[in-house]
Amino acid sequence: MSNLKASPMRLRLLITLLLGAVGLGVTLYLSTAVVRDLRLLNSARSDNVQWTLSQAEVEFLEYDLHLNTSLGNLDPDLRTLRREFDIFYSRINTLRQASIYSALRDVPEFSRNLRIVQTFLDRTVDTIDASDTALTGALPELIERAEAVRPNVRQLANSGLNYFAEDSDRRRSNIAVTLMQMAAVVTILLVTLLLLALYLAYLNAQNVRRRAEIVQASERMKIVTGTALDAVVVSDAEGRILDFNAAAEQIFGYSATEAIGADLGALIVPDHHRAAHVAGMERMRAHGEKRVVGKGRIKLEAKRATGEVFPVEFAIQSAQTDDGEIFIAFLRDISHRVKAEADLVAARDRALAGEKAKTDFLATMSHEIRTPLNGLLGNLSLLRDTKLSARQARYIHNMDTSGKLLMNHISDVLDITKYDAGKLHLRPVPMNISTLLQDIIDNQSGAALAHDTTLDWGWVGPPADWIHADRDRIQHILMNVIGNAVKFTHGGRVSVQAEVLRAPDSTPELHVTVSDTGIGMDDTLQSQIFDDFLTGDSSYDREVGGTGLGLGIARRFVQALGGGIDVESTLGEGSTFLIRFPITPIAAPAATGPHRRLRSGELRPSRVLLVEDNEINRVVAREMLVAAGHRVTEAANGKVAVDLAQNKTFDLILMDISMPIMDGRTATRQIRDGNGVSARTPIVALTANAMAEEQQAFLSDGMNDILTKPLTRDGLMQVIANHVHRDTDPPAFAKDASKAVAGAYLDDLRETLGIEALRPLLDRFVTEVNDTLAFLADHHSHAPAEIAARAHRIAGSAATLGAVELRAGLIAVETAANAGDEKGMAKAIAALPAIWFVTRPQMRADRDDAPDA
Amino acid sequence: MYRSLFPALALVVATALPAWAQSLAEPEGEVILTVSGALDVTNVGGTAQFDLEMLEALDATTFETSTIWTEGTHSFTGVSLDTLLERLGVEGETLRATAINDYAVDIPVSDAVEGGPILAYRMDGETMSVRDKGPLWVIYPYDASSDYRSEVTYSRSIWQLDRIEVMQ
Repeated sequence: MSNLKASPMRLRLLITLLLGAVGLGVTLYLSTAVVRDLRLLNSARSDNVQWTLSQAEVEFLEYDLHLNTSLGNLDPDLRTLRREFDIFYSRINTLRQASIYSALRDVPEFSRNLRIVQTFLDRTVDTIDASDTALTGALPELIERAEAVRPNVRQLANSGLNYFAEDSDRRRSNIAVTLMQMAAVVTILLVTLLLLALYLAYLNAQNVRRRAEIVQASERMKIVTGTALDAVVVSDAEGRILDFNAAAEQIFGYSATEAIGADLGALIVPDHHRAAHVAGMERMRAHGEKRVVGKGRIKLEAKRATGEVFPVEFAIQSAQTDDGEIFIAFLRDISHRVKAEADLVAARDRALAGEKAKTDFLATMSHEIRTPLNGLLGNLSLLRDTKLSARQARYIHNMDTSGKLLMNHISDVLDITKYDAGKLHLRPVPMNISTLLQDIIDNQSGAALAHDTTLDWGWVGPPADWIHADRDRIQHILMNVIGNAVKFTHGGRVSVQAEVLRAPDSTPELHVTVSDTGIGMDDTLQSQIFDDFLTGDSSYDREVGGTGLGLGIARRFVQALGGGIDVESTLGEGSTFLIRFPITPIAAPAATGPHRRLRSGELRPSRVLLVEDNEINRVVAREMLVAAGHRVTEAANGKVAVDLAQNKTFDLILMDISMPIMDGRTATRQIRDGNGVSARTPIVALTANAMAEEQQAFLSDGMNDILTKPLTRDGLMQVIANHVHRDTDPPAFAKDASKAVAGAYLDDLRETLGIEALRPLLDRFVTEVNDTLAFLADHHSHAPAEIAARAHRIAGSAATLGAVELRAGLIAVETAANAGDEKGMAKAIAALPAIWFVTRPQMRADRDDAPDA
Repeated sequence: MYRSLFPALALVVATALPAWAQSLAEPEGEVILTVSGALDVTNVGGTAQFDLEMLEALDATTFETSTIWTEGTHSFTGVSLDTLLERLGVEGETLRATAINDYAVDIPVSDAVEGGPILAYRMDGETMSVRDKGPLWVIYPYDASSDYRSEVTYSRSIWQLDRIEVMQ
């Protein structure tokens, strides 16, 4: 791979070397050729071939000489003559046949002369081979023939010599050409070598420069990593540490010497991450899968030399080197940051918890204040029904007004708390906005009249009567704003105008404008008017009172409805409030008459199970019901209610929600889920919590209706009228009641003590019995002896007041408790509430059922 | 070593055995080759003279080769120069070979090796006349090695050979 990458340079080098090698080869070949040619040339110089040609003439002349010598001689040397002839003959034969003369034989002159000489030889050979006598006789003729052929022999030699001279010239010129070729090739070779040398010099310079650069870069890198604040750890694919910078030494507590060569995982990965680390490295080696490398910053934990595990943030990158893949990790000790973050989160959580505690406290306190206040108001209501002097009636009225005001303030606080806690939920119901406005105007008209103020209202444009909205909230808003206007206007006019604005493609919006000619506000006050705890003019304050929360709540409610509230005002001239919020117009619901006309004469006694843990509230409700002629069975918690509903028939169950032991919702579900005789009896929730989603939950638990505290007589009567069937059978316990109480005892007491004296006695008794029943209901947590003693004491009282059945029941409890019969005791205790249920209504000072009022 | 040992060995052989190897019979037919100079074995007046029969009595060598002086390939038979020199106990460095027409050429003794040149007396099984470059023709096995296809070798291929002088 890396070899291929570096190839361009190497390729150039290779090509140059190849060219050089080819040049060298060509030079060597040409040198060889030159040497060969030179040798040939050399050989040719001493070549016997040329010598052979000359020799042919020489040998001819030898023969010719010998012929002439022999002619005049009486004893000629014929042997020598013959040999001379043979030698010449052989020579010509050679010229004729030898392959080396083939080129020469192509020369026409040579060829012609050779043929002539050959003919001469052929003609002469017979004479030479003849007898000595014949040869001697033929000598003159032979001389003549030799003379004749002599020029031809001469020409033969010459033409051959010419040829060889030309041949030599050709060879020489060949050599010259070869030499020139060689010179050219050598020149090319030299140039190539020169270029190669230059190129190598360039490469060398480049290498030197690069090496210098690399050294420099390496030095720089060393300085960078050495001075980096982050730990830099380099490892190979096996996880062996290759580099470990100064920051790494400081963070991990190992020296570079210790770290380098060590296993990365063993050194800095905490034990509980080790397996994952090893698996990751394995995965990477096997499949090249990288889950961490090149994935940016990652937060994890690392380990110091001391074994301390601390949070780090790190990033890993990989790089390919000649020694394989390496990994560079940049790690940052973020323990300080993580601690700071944790501290910050803790601080925030504490603040939030504080805020929540405050909200919870407000909510709880409001609720806790409201409960006894309900008691106060209820009792005031009862008190008003008694015979009162005019002064007493006035005092009661004042107390009632103050109490209700207090209740409103508490409700305000609760509403703000809920809104700010985001718990304010709307409970939209079908409602008639015209009716609501009319009711509010009616309600405020008395106050307006008292201030000598005209109060009127009307629609601008077409009215929108029925809408689907949260009636209670809207009422609260309008009441507040209109009430304020009336409050701050004396001898003027308060005018309320309602208008529906229907913009296309959007929800219709209701605008309610409340204009007064009152005292008005300055700009400062206008800007603060919707703030919490703001009160207006202090003199009015005294007069009208107020927490200063009213408009703040109104603003919150309007915002919750999705709208807004604005004010325009001129000091001394009056104010105009504009309330606007989206509405959902609906058709008027069919008049099914969910509310029956309430006519007390039509009411017949109903059997009501009243489930309420707060004794005072319970008494108030009970008294209201009893006063209306109903028979009330009380239960202090849900558990008791469930037990009662199992065996007794009730026409209505009034169920408080939050109670000890068992809350109202659980009790409702158990009653509905069971198959007791009152499993289908209507159940009405009694609650101070008017939150919509809760009320929905009550209904889904099986409750039929909700009655909001504080209870009013009318509210109670309305609920009974709505839910109790008229055709209910007469109470099943009517005849039992006569058995439960020996009425004669009470009659005696009545006559003896008088009603006024008897009443507290009976009240105390009822309280005691109730307490005792509550005590016994929890009998598991009391000692048997204590139970026996208590039962005994109440049994005595019961006997005195003629509650015979209750007495018998208590005696049974006492006996079982003394005997240690826990099962028997539990059974006897369980029977008591039913007995008390029928006994209780008869424990009255006045015998007749007529209400006090 | 072989060469230095040879005289001693020859002496031993000469004293112990009939001297057929040592002595050379006188030629009976026409003398076709006369070897003179530094040689151990002679027969006529300090020279070794051979007729065809004597040469043919020596170990014969035959090979086929082409030559630049003939057309096509021919079979040559003769006594190898190596055999001849060994037979004559030649000590010299150079042989001066001379033809009938007095053409002379120097042949180094180092040429005389096994598979080297022969003194051919037959071509294609026939003796050679003077007209056919006979009766003796020094033939190298030109086809067997490119070393023999050189001008020098060609110049040493003397025909119509009749004298060899061994020179120190």
